Amino acid sequence: MKVVKILLTGMGFLLALSTQAHVGSPGVVFEGKAGPYSLLVSIDPPEVIPGTAQVQIIVDNGIIDHIWVKPIYWYAGDEGSPSPDEALPSEENSLQYEGMVWLMSSGTASLEITVEGAQGKGVVVVPVMAASTAQKEMEPLLGWVLAGLGILLVVLMVTIIGASVSDGTLSPDQPFTPRHRRQRWVGAGIALLVLSLVLYGGNSWWQNWADRYQRYMYRPFQATSTILETEEGKVLNFAIDTTYLSYRGEGSRTSYFIPDHGKLMHMFLIREGSLDAFAHLHPQRVDTLNYQVKLPPLPQGRYFVYADVVRWNGFAETIADTVDIPETPLPARLASVTEADLYVDPDDTYIISNPVGNQKPQLQANQIVVCGKPGIDTPLPDGSTAIWEHEANEPLVVGKLYPMTFAIQDPEGNPAQLEPYMGMMGHMVVFKNDGSVYVHLHPVGNYSMASQSVLESRIAEDQTLPTLPDPVQFTDSINQLVASIRAMSDPEREGFLMEDMGHDTDDESGAHVGHSVVTFPYVFPEAGDYRIWIQMKRVGQVLNSAFDVTVSE
Amino acid sequence: METTLASKTVAAPLPQASAASLLLNIPWFIYATVFASLCIVVGLIWDISWHMSIGRDGLLSPPHLAMYLGAIIAGTFSGYQVLQTTFAGKEVQKKQSVRFWGIFYSSLGALFCIWGALAMLTSAPFDDWWHDTYGLDVTILSPPHTVLALGMMTIQFGAIISVLALQNRTDATDLPVDLQQRRQRRLQVFYIIAAGFFLTMLFIIASEFQGRHDMHRSSFYIIGGGLYTFLLSAIARSSPLKWAATATTAVYMTVLMLMNWILPLFSAKPMLGPILNHIDHFQAFDFPLLLIFPALTIDGVLNRFRGKNDWLQALVIAVLFIGVFAAVQWPFGDFLMSPYARNGFFGTETWYFSNNPDWEYRYAFAPWMETTGWNLVVGLLTAVGVSVLTTRLGLYWGRWMQQVRR
Repeated sequence: MKVVKILLTGMGFLLALSTQAHVGSPGVVFEGKAGPYSLLVSIDPPEVIPGTAQVQIIVDNGIIDHIWVKPIYWYAGDEGSPSPDEALPSEENSLQYEGMVWLMSSGTASLEITVEGAQGKGVVVVPVMAASTAQKEMEPLLGWVLAGLGILLVVLMVTIIGASVSDGTLSPDQPFTPRHRRQRWVGAGIALLVLSLVLYGGNSWWQNWADRYQRYMYRPFQATSTILETEEGKVLNFAIDTTYLSYRGEGSRTSYFIPDHGKLMHMFLIREGSLDAFAHLHPQRVDTLNYQVKLPPLPQGRYFVYADVVRWNGFAETIADTVDIPETPLPARLASVTEADLYVDPDDTYIISNPVGNQKPQLQANQIVVCGKPGIDTPLPDGSTAIWEHEANEPLVVGKLYPMTFAIQDPEGNPAQLEPYMGMMGHMVVFKNDGSVYVHLHPVGNYSMASQSVLESRIAEDQTLPTLPDPVQFTDSINQLVASIRAMSDPEREGFLMEDMGHDTDDESGAHVGHSVVTFPYVFPEAGDYRIWIQMKRVGQVLNSAFDVTVSE
Repeated sequence: METTLASKTVAAPLPQASAASLLLNIPWFIYATVFASLCIVVGLIWDISWHMSIGRDGLLSPPHLAMYLGAIIAGTFSGYQVLQTTFAGKEVQKKQSVRFWGIFYSSLGALFCIWGALAMLTSAPFDDWWHDTYGLDVTILSPPHTVLALGMMTIQFGAIISVLALQNRTDATDLPVDLQQRRQRRLQVFYIIAAGFFLTMLFIIASEFQGRHDMHRSSFYIIGGGLYTFLLSAIARSSPLKWAATATTAVYMTVLMLMNWILPLFSAKPMLGPILNHIDHFQAFDFPLLLIFPALTIDGVLNRFRGKNDWLQALVIAVLFIGVFAAVQWPFGDFLMSPYARNGFFGTETWYFSNNPDWEYRYAFAPWMETTGWNLVVGLLTAVGVSVLTTRLGLYWGRWMQQVRR
C-alpha cells in the first residue's frame, strides 16, 4: 500500500498551515523568574501532536545543579503529569540548558521548569498550546527508499505465491513440468492482481487517514469583519464563525472566552502593503459571536485583522481576517480615541507612520511617526526618543533568541519614567511585511499571561478532572468582570491588572522600581523584512513607536 | 545410542548421533523460525503493554528488541538457507527447494520469512515518518503498523510452512523408527505451536474489535468468526492431528494467559502525560477469548464428516462455531465486566494510563456497545454467513497446505 502512496506522493515539502496564539511564529519565549533564578526560556513546540517540544533555558544568575522540565496539561492537572526530564547543559554554551518534552494530547499545556541550585529551588510555569498545525509530506529520499522496498516486497511476494502453487507442492523427486510452469505464471498473475487491490485499498486507507488528520488538525476560528456606519462613526463588527466547533468540542465555544490584560479581545489592524497604519483596539462583546469596536480615523485600504483571544482553559489563539476600510477624512494630527463612548475602550490606540519601502506617506512628515532602525535614536510623537539597543551594523538572524531592548528618554534627554499600560511595561507586535508572521508579545515573552494564570490556578487546585461550566452563566460573569475593569479609573485599572498578573515592579523595600528600558525576548522564525510596533506609556499617554528591521538566515 | 543407517540415496549428511536424537534431524532453521515466531508474538504483547503502562519508547526498547530478534533470527537463518542451498547446496537440498529468479533455491518457508523480515524492516522508517507526520498513534491498526504486522505474520506463516513442508514429506533421516516417529510427532506439535502463535497474532491485530467492550456487538462475532474459522479450518485440515484446531486455540490461550500473568509482576511508571490512571506495574493485554470451545466444533465436524462435501462441512462448522462462540463469549463478556474478573488471573483491571479510570463504562457495556433484538439476529446470521465462506476458504487453503512439500 505504501508503494502506491509513495509513488503518487513523489517529492514533498513541509506545509505549515498556521499556529495558534500567533501567526507564523510558533515558538514560545519566556523571560522571568523561577524563584531566585532569572530565566530566559525558548520553547519550540511540535507541529504534530503527539510530538516533542524542544526547550532551551538560559539561567542568568546562580550556580545550577539541575533543571527539570515536565509537561502539565490543564485538563489533567499536576497530578496527571509524568515525572520531569532533566534539561542538560548545552555542549556549546554552558549557561544554556537543553531539554525535550513529549506533548501527547492537543489542548492547553504548560512546561513546568524547576531550577535547583545554590540558591535553593525555583519553579515557573510556561504555557504551551499543544496543537497539530502542519501536514508533512515525505522527503524524496525516504520516498524512493520506501518505494524501492515496496516494489521488492511486491515482486518477492508474487514470486512466492507463484512458487507456492507450483513447485512448492512437489515432492523432492517430482519433476517440474510445463504444466507447473503454467501454474506458476497463473499463480503469480493472480497474486499480482490481488496485491494491486491490496495496494489500492491501502492507499485509500492512507488517504482516509490523511484526510482525517487534516480534518482534526488545529485551525483557528474564522471570522468576518465588516464596517458599520453609525452615528458615532465607523464601527468594525467582528463576527466569529464557529463552523469548526463540531470537531473542536464544546469546550471551544466562544462563550468561554476570558479576559487577558483585562480585555476579552485584543485586536490589531495593520494596513496591508504599506504597513503605515496600525491600531491596537479592544472590541466589546455584543454577543458570544459578535464583537464591535469604534474605528479610529485610519486611512482607507485593506487591513490585516488579528484578534487575540483566550479560552477558559487557557488556550490562546489568534483569529485572523482582513477588512476594507472605506475612505475617511484623516485628521490633521493623531486624534485621541479615548473618549468614553460606545465601543471605545480607554486603552485603544493607533499610529500612522511612514510606509515600508519607498511609498508616499499618507500624512505630512511632521504628523506621522517615523519608523526607527536598530541602534539609532528615534523621535516619538511626544518629543521623547526611543532607541533599540542593538548594534546598527550587526545583522539579526533567524532562530536566535534576542532580548530586544528599547530605552526611552524623555524630551529633556533623561531616562523616561514609563508607566504600565494594560498591566505591562510594554507591548510589542512583530509583523513580517508579507503578513506571514504576526505575534503580540510583552517583556515576559510571547505567551498569554491569562493562560499562565489559568494554568497556575489549575495546578494549585484539587486534581479532579474539570467539567464544563454553564456557558450562559460563564459569559455573564465574564461580561461583568470586563465591564467592571473598564469602568475603573486608569490608575485603578493598572493597579488591578498588575496585581492580577503578579507583575514584579517593587524592589525589596516595596517601593516601585522605575522603568526607562523595556526588553522583549523574541526569536525571529523566518528571514525577511519586519516592522515592529512598540507601545509604552509615559505621563498618562500611550507612546507608539515603530521600527523596521531585516532578518537574515 | 543406537543408530541405524538408512539406505536411501537422497539421505542428507549424517549428523552426530546425539545431535540427531536431540534435534531429530529437524534442521536448525525450523527451530529458529518457530522460536522467531514466539519472539515476535511475545515482543508484540509486551510492546502493547509497554505503551499502555509506560508510553515512551524508542527504537531499541526491550519489546522492540524482542520483535527485532524474531525478525533477525528468521531473516538470517532464511537468508543463509537460501544462499547455502543456492551456492553450496547438494542436489538433494535443491530438490527439496523451489527455484526462483533463475538462480536461487529456497524452501517456501524461508521465502516467507525473508519477505516478513523485509516488510518489518520497511515498516520502521515508514512508521517513523508516520509518527512525525500524523503523531504518535496509540493504535494497533495504522498503515505502517499493518506493514509491520504483515511482516510479523508472514514470518510466523513462514514458520508454519517450514514445519509443514517437513511434516508433509517423508525425508530419509537416517533415524531409527522410534526416533522417526518422534520426529514426525515433534513436527506435528511444532506445527500446532506455530499455528497457535499465528492465531495469537491474528487476535492481536483484530483486538481493536475483539475486546471485552465489543463482546455484545454483532461485529465481534462477524469479524472474529470470519478470521478464526478461516485459520482454524485450514490448520485442522492440514494437520494429521485429530484435534488440531482445539490444540491451536490452547496454544493461543496459553501464550496470552502467561503474558497476562507475567507482565503485571513487573513495575512500570507512565512517562508521558496526561496521566489519568496512576499505575505502578505493567498493564496486561486482554484475557484470551475462549476459542477452545468453538474450535472443538471444527475438529468435531471435520473428524465426523471427513470426505463429505466441503461446502456442507463449512456450513455445519459455521453454524456450530458461531453458536458456541456466542454462547460462550457473550456471557463471558458479562463475567469480564464483573468484579470477579478484576484480579491477577483475568486481569481486567488493566487500563491505559491516559484513560480516565473513573469512566462509567470501564466495567460496563454502554448502550452503543450492545447489539440487541432483530439487529442481533441479523448480525449473528451475518456472522454465520461470513463464516461459511471463510471456513470454505480455510478448507481450500488447508488442502493446499496439505500439499506443501518444499
